[in-house]
Amino acid sequence: MAKIFCVANQKGGVGKTTSAVNLAAGLAKVGQRVLLVDLDPQGNATMGSGVDKRQLELSVYDVLLESASIQEAAIFSEKCGYHVLGANRELAGAEVELVDLERRDQRLKLALEVVQQEFDFVLIDCPPSLSMLTLNGLCAAHGVIVPMQCEYFALEGLTDLVNTIKQVHANLNPDLKIIGLLRVMFDPRITLQQQVSEQLKSHFGDKVFNTVIPRNVRLAEAPSYGLPGVVFDPSAKGSQAFVEFAKELVQRIPTL
Amino acid sequence: MHWQIKWVQKYAYQLVEQHDWMRPLRGDWLARLDDVVTDLNGPVYLVAHSLGCIHVAAWASISKQAHKVKAALLVAPGDVEAQPLKDVFSSWRPICLQPLPFKSILLSSQNDPHCTIERAQFFAKSWGSDWINMGSKGHLNADSLLGDWPEGHNFLNQLMKVDEHGH
Repeated sequence: MAKIFCVANQKGGVGKTTSAVNLAAGLAKVGQRVLLVDLDPQGNATMGSGVDKRQLELSVYDVLLESASIQEAAIFSEKCGYHVLGANRELAGAEVELVDLERRDQRLKLALEVVQQEFDFVLIDCPPSLSMLTLNGLCAAHGVIVPMQCEYFALEGLTDLVNTIKQVHANLNPDLKIIGLLRVMFDPRITLQQQVSEQLKSHFGDKVFNTVIPRNVRLAEAPSYGLPGVVFDPSAKGSQAFVEFAKELVQRIPTL
Repeated sequence: MHWQIKWVQKYAYQLVEQHDWMRPLRGDWLARLDDVVTDLNGPVYLVAHSLGCIHVAAWASISKQAHKVKAALLVAPGDVEAQPLKDVFSSWRPICLQPLPFKSILLSSQNDPHCTIERAQFFAKSWGSDWINMGSKGHLNADSLLGDWPEGHNFLNQLMKVDEHGH
């Protein structure tokens, strides 16, 4: 049965989508069957997985409105080795259209139940705002992976996210928990980053993943080629770190 | 130039700018119209043409903002359930046929290549719109050479006056 994780942080620009696509590619590389769900109308995770959002016949929008199943709407990205349930601007309409519908926050969860056996991991790339889309992601997930930069203001975004997760856990999804914090864009030469990293470890303990993703130019370049760094340049340090992270996550699963 | 653009220029009406006119995505358009109406204060009048009519019907059926709309002028609805539009605008089917929660007039042409007169009449009946046959004027667009189309604007004035008098 698939483990379903949201990649979320209510602070924008922290590397959520980069983490989602590279973790998906890393997991695929170590032999896992992966579905990446793009829940952001910007469709960056879709494009970053080698799938053209402008050419989507069906998308996560159709799944949320129950006009298509995940089997119908998901596309296998040959280049990346995982399935993508893509998104484009159409998804913005779901915010308006879901408001009065029944089970509006459970649509993704119910759709994923049908394909649970077909994947080992489902990763959901959430938009930064707390919207009906994010809520669908959090209601569907077993847990949340939180990518964060080791900077002062990063901790503020984390507080918001922890509060959101507590509320969803209490009211909508008792399974939901933080799986772990992933330190990304890390530069060990910057003292503040080291300090924040230490703070995170002392405060969150083993909730902080051992793997650290270094700041890496090749990871930043990869989206312009429509690929995760792990696929675009497997030898880059950032790419190798994501593969290590994928292995760490697989190892952690029995303990979750 | 399309009469809607002329009306925007002549009467300082607001144009609902969509992200991509050449590739209209239903959800994207719904969200955009909802954002625009949300930001408006006071009574709203919608003037829709072609796919815009289908768009207004879909939006009005789901939006929490629809109460702000006093009336709508719907011109030459694009029948996305029939050729030649059927294959191009697949995500817009099925057409929402719920009665509109506001007053409306639907103007149609009897030689519109994108909607038969029977279908236009059917849409008007479904949406609760007053239906007017404008004669043989194609798709009532720029190719119809309507200029700034005062005849069409009279119908909008009519809707606004009806609203002013409260009936």
